[in-house]
Amino acid sequence: MLALQLLCNGIVTGCALGIVAVSFSLVYATTKIFHVAHAGVYTMSGYVAWSLLRHGFPAPIAFVGAIAAATALGALIQGVLYARLERRRATHLVVLIASLGTLAVIQNILAAVFTANILQFELPWGSQVFHLGGNVRLTMTQLLTVLVNVAAYGGVMWFSHGTILGKQIRAVASNPFLAEIVRLQPRRVHIYVMAIASALVCLPGILVPLDFGLQPYNGVTPLLTATIAMIAGGVGSITGAFVLAIVITELQNMSLLFIPGEWSIGVTFFIFVVFMLFRPTGLFAAAR
Amino acid sequence: MMLALNALESGYGAKTVVSNVSFSLAPGQILAFLGHNGAGKTTTLKSIMGLLRPTAGEILFDGQNIGRLSVADRVALGVRLLPEGRGIFPDLTVAENVSVVAARNVGAGAMFDVPDIYKLFPVLAERRDTRAGSMSGGQQQMLALSLAILGTPRCLMLDEPSIGLAPNLVERMFEQVRDVCKSHAMTAVLVEQNVAAAMKIADRVIIMNSGRIVFDGDPDEARASNFWSYY
Repeated sequence: MLALQLLCNGIVTGCALGIVAVSFSLVYATTKIFHVAHAGVYTMSGYVAWSLLRHGFPAPIAFVGAIAAATALGALIQGVLYARLERRRATHLVVLIASLGTLAVIQNILAAVFTANILQFELPWGSQVFHLGGNVRLTMTQLLTVLVNVAAYGGVMWFSHGTILGKQIRAVASNPFLAEIVRLQPRRVHIYVMAIASALVCLPGILVPLDFGLQPYNGVTPLLTATIAMIAGGVGSITGAFVLAIVITELQNMSLLFIPGEWSIGVTFFIFVVFMLFRPTGLFAAAR
Repeated sequence: MMLALNALESGYGAKTVVSNVSFSLAPGQILAFLGHNGAGKTTTLKSIMGLLRPTAGEILFDGQNIGRLSVADRVALGVRLLPEGRGIFPDLTVAENVSVVAARNVGAGAMFDVPDIYKLFPVLAERRDTRAGSMSGGQQQMLALSLAILGTPRCLMLDEPSIGLAPNLVERMFEQVRDVCKSHAMTAVLVEQNVAAAMKIADRVIIMNSGRIVFDGDPDEARASNFWSYY
């Protein structure tokens, strides 16, 4: 029974981290920027939703407000910071440092405004429990996390392959030089991508704290798992990032059956390192 | 004149690669732009396209000075480049390649819309759903040419289009370029190492050496001269 419960919990967290990985992968594949500040956008969105709820806004308005704020922040980071650095021919390392700096600024602002303590973030109906049989239980929040993030994954797949903007984003990722000379305007596309990825990361950014609470430094561990999922899944593969995030989370969860909790992250990443030795391009590298 | 360069000087950063490059081309005229590697041909094309900012001189397109326009604005005017070896989006299907470029470049009354492209290259219609990067070199080059001419191209610059192609394919592709240029009064600048094939379709030949023009004449004059001494 414990194994089944761990499996279900793994799917819940895996789906949430899957969208962090998908959104991070979208940004990296298109802009080639290692957007560490994405962790800051993820964390900030939870705080915005929490604040709006506390000020009496209904949950849907609070969530939409958080998505709008994250979208604007993502577009701002690209338009004001990364695009300027690119125009000045900054190296990848310089852009990475700028991104790390942005993350630190966001985290510090959140800590200054909301304190560094864990804030409880709950919805009245969030802890309603569903029994799936065999003593396996899921809360309403967990169920919503799975449904919303799986729907978001489906939405991203449809957007990427079924809309002109989605295809333009894939085109810019595939050949940025050609994109420039056939008037796809890659710099503008980069801003759209950053805005879309920031809106996407809001979904787990709001739903995960409903289960675990809010803290300004919460975003870094999910981003680490997301980065590994992106690489192991094959950079540029949306499905690869999503599936591998679930696999990694399941590995971490199921390992609890055999080893103490403090070892689970280390063991999971050891498996990842061994996997990359045998398949360095990632599992879904060719299936974009 | 469709395209005119007046004493163009350009390069990378502080390094000047081409200087005092001047020529003008009429609508429908095909220029074979020749020279050894590093002679400055690609630098000239990139400057015309707006990818490099000239340090001196003028670039006139249909009488308008386009030297300070963005790449996107130049493309909108009809300046097109088929780049060397990377003219497709390899991770997209053929249909997706064509549709993304058409969405940004094909307007009402465009010279080449999507159906025109599939009529010009029927094999691309057959391979619509194929991932572009998995096609043969010849088919990839047909797709690259299609992407370069979608919309209303008025000056097409081709940078080493024959690289990696079988000789019969090169000949066929060059004939298609010539037919398109003549039927649509489109000017072409053809940078090519396959000198014989380029001269077959060209109306004019310019040879560059060390960033300067060392020969400017028609193909017969080029053939009659001590051609290889310019290299």
